[in-house]
Amino acid sequence: MRLAPHVAAVCTLATAIVVPAIAIANSDLESKMADPNNWAAQAGDMYNQRYSKLNQINKSNVGKMQVAWMFSTGVLRGHEGSPLVVNGTMYIHTPFPNKVFAIDLDTQKIKWRYEPKQDSAVIAQMCCDTVYRGLAYAENKIFLQQADSTLLALDANNGKVLWSVKNGDPKLGAVNTNAPHVFKDKVITGISGGEWGVRGFLAAYDINTGKQVWKAYSVGPDNEMLVDPQKTMTWTDGAMKPVGENSSLKTWKGDQWKIGGGTTWGWYSYDKELNTVYYGSGNPSTWNPSQRPGDNRWSMTIFARDLDTGQAKWVYQMTPYDEWDFDGINEMILANITVKGKPTKALVHFDRNGFGYTLDRTTGALLVAEKYDPKVNWATHVDMKSGRPQVVAQYSTAQNGPDKNTKGVCPAALGSKDQQPAAFNPKNGRFYVPTNHVCMDYEPFKVDYTAGQPYVGATLSMFPPQGEKNMGNFIVWDAGTGKIVQSKAEKFSVWSGALVTAGDVACYGTLEGYLKCVDANDINKELFKFKTPSGIIGNVFTYEHKGKQYIGTFSGIGGWAGIGMAAGLEKDQDGLGAVGGYKELRDYTELGGTLTVFALPN
Amino acid sequence: MGPRTIVLLVAACAFTAHAVADEDKPYKVVDGYKVDANTMKGFRTWRAAACDRCHGAAQQGLVGPSLIESLKRVSKEDFVKLMETGRLDKGMPSFATSPTVMENREALYAYLKGRSNGDITQVKVEELTP
Repeated sequence: MRLAPHVAAVCTLATAIVVPAIAIANSDLESKMADPNNWAAQAGDMYNQRYSKLNQINKSNVGKMQVAWMFSTGVLRGHEGSPLVVNGTMYIHTPFPNKVFAIDLDTQKIKWRYEPKQDSAVIAQMCCDTVYRGLAYAENKIFLQQADSTLLALDANNGKVLWSVKNGDPKLGAVNTNAPHVFKDKVITGISGGEWGVRGFLAAYDINTGKQVWKAYSVGPDNEMLVDPQKTMTWTDGAMKPVGENSSLKTWKGDQWKIGGGTTWGWYSYDKELNTVYYGSGNPSTWNPSQRPGDNRWSMTIFARDLDTGQAKWVYQMTPYDEWDFDGINEMILANITVKGKPTKALVHFDRNGFGYTLDRTTGALLVAEKYDPKVNWATHVDMKSGRPQVVAQYSTAQNGPDKNTKGVCPAALGSKDQQPAAFNPKNGRFYVPTNHVCMDYEPFKVDYTAGQPYVGATLSMFPPQGEKNMGNFIVWDAGTGKIVQSKAEKFSVWSGALVTAGDVACYGTLEGYLKCVDANDINKELFKFKTPSGIIGNVFTYEHKGKQYIGTFSGIGGWAGIGMAAGLEKDQDGLGAVGGYKELRDYTELGGTLTVFALPN
Repeated sequence: MGPRTIVLLVAACAFTAHAVADEDKPYKVVDGYKVDANTMKGFRTWRAAACDRCHGAAQQGLVGPSLIESLKRVSKEDFVKLMETGRLDKGMPSFATSPTVMENREALYAYLKGRSNGDITQVKVEELTP
């Protein structure tokens, strides 16, 4: 539930008087989120809905938007995530070296800046891009998750470091790209490095001290995963049943789980009433499936954990025994919608594997699993009784084996959608999803593990689906039935997080660098289009300042979005990189980070 | 370096007739993709170290530079040194702790040089059958 601003303010006051300090953090952030003038969290809220109640900019006037102001971050490379806006101050982050700027929205003057000193060796450990998805705010603190895994709390007034804690060992490839998230009195963060054999985990730190409260691995022994064999449930034979003892260990060969991946670099969400945090785990390591027979639990899994203890309430593995690098890290969107005719407290997730999942977020029951790109071919469907995808032998890189090139798998490893988050429109109950429309050839090969060195074990090439030219779509999805309502083709992957507003507009960026706003009720009606200085892989956000609504986005291309357009492997002419969409992208854009903010003319 | 490696290196040397040509063409290739054992090891090293993540599946360059171009300028000596030191400021890691790369640097150079010269015409190569 989202409280109206005045209600929230009253709550804050009341809580301050009656209950201990711990609860105040919760109310503070909640009241900031409830005020649509702010954009106080990466998704605007704790549900990952990316919806704003602001409606000054609406579908009848959005076409008149003009650039209000711009800001150069001074950093090249991929700019993901978005700034935060809290009470008249904007907080801007950058990719490595992870600079932070606090900007006074009255004057657009930099109030303070913070630039961490980090070992440049981290850059190489983040290959191929040094993205960072953004900051978190709570209780007058800014939380910065540095690339080298250091998590910091800064004083929001002056940028002074309040505390700092090490979250991983970058020398082993355990680095960070995710935004930290504040839920209640905890800051939640994950870890990257699935291509370095890093064993993934989610960790909770006390927002006031930086002390680690819990840490829960994705794979390994039950106690280290905070999984209770009897109480942690999973979808089994059409019902929720306990996972049983050693639910992860018995699905790995030998000690492979110790370098088994399942990293956690996506967006997290939180349901206050259930006191549950939701997120997904990434690919099992290596990308060569023949080196890790078994289901590799709980990689590729949706986790529901108790926020206070970290104990797993339920889990659901989407891609058992991954053979394609379909990380399950994409955001879990919490929304109350009608599913198959029944009002449901749902969790909606658009997985890299090309299926859109709807689950009951209280129990973890699987309700809907359907393809959100009709070209998805690696599985015919998800069997609703077992919850398992039905793999097509032709596209099984494990069945075809190492050193064999499995061709034409859709989607590609970067998924029908990667981390670029979707938006939910409570006015019509539908989801607005930025998608990739890319297929791949995938050739696994044997690889040895060396600590701190890449541990990949597959060569990939990616291309649009046969007979098609567009490599992306912006779609509207009905999560209650699992159907695409509308689809708008884009030349390149849509690698930008979507925004939907009460003004009935949906906005997203493109790799060529256009910010586009469309009619939320008919997305093929393009109402606004503006070419920013570089390709957009950031998320669109909105706020209001002194009675004026603004819509903004980072531009600054980089990262996997580019790799998706790499040349093919086997044709002679491909060797010089003369073909493929990547070269064409160079006709549109170059590197360079800029924030562009739009508003209606005075 | 194990005995097997030595045999392979001897075999590789046998393919190259002149010392001068060795620097320019430290590989043997037939039909554009059948290569000597040493160059084959170079290809395997290329894959194992996941160089394609930065330099592109076909060495054409992505975040990292095109090796098709770079290998026209970088000497073998500098290449071998670079594997050990890296160029951290530019994002190129040091492979000093990777036995696979350190033991096969020259083979990797041979493979990439063949790609750069245009003599090895496709990324994936096969070993010449004697």
